[in-house]
Amino acid sequence: MSHLNYLAVLAFIALCAVAVSLLFRLRLLSKWKVFLLTDGCIIALYLTWDIWAAKRKAWYFDPHQIVGLKLFGVLPVEELLFFILVPIMVILSYTSLGKITQWIANRR
Amino acid sequence: MIYSDIALDAVIVAVLVDLFLLRTQMMTRGIFWLTYGLILPFQLLTNWWLTSKNIVMYSADQIIGKRFAGAPIEDLLFGFSLILFTLSLWEFFSARHSD
Repeated sequence: MSHLNYLAVLAFIALCAVAVSLLFRLRLLSKWKVFLLTDGCIIALYLTWDIWAAKRKAWYFDPHQIVGLKLFGVLPVEELLFFILVPIMVILSYTSLGKITQWIANRR
Repeated sequence: MIYSDIALDAVIVAVLVDLFLLRTQMMTRGIFWLTYGLILPFQLLTNWWLTSKNIVMYSADQIIGKRFAGAPIEDLLFGFSLILFTLSLWEFFSARHSD
């Protein structure tokens, strides 16, 4: 089961995303176009950096703790999922904090 | 110390993009820093998770060697740039797709 270790970290982030979405009734799906544009830029920038660094072995991944599927021969597929899930979580955090501050302002 | 250099560059680029290229000015808004403050402990938690179990490892000659919550301190720069970039792009594209 150790092959799922990196995936477990990502599952934790995904669970947080689902919980926050339900709790604050956020509908990120309705803004999927904006998200695709945003994450497209993020993936283009950070995955390029990631692949380049992984090729130079600036960082490397324990082969026993990843599922083993590699992008461009070097980068674990978990890294791509990371750059999808983390931006989702960042946007959800930002949107829910916006709702909270708005709610507090309205109560004054 | 390649990671150190690029992580610092990523922060500088993200700041320039936010303030001058997309002009989203996220860094001047309280809600951005509030969001960063909320995410930072979660970043430290996942960093610690990934590095303490050696899921991700770093070559010693690529980092300056100082660590925080298990991960190289460069990760803090990387995380900040990722959060700033994401929110700057999100605001930029949101303003242009108000459907």
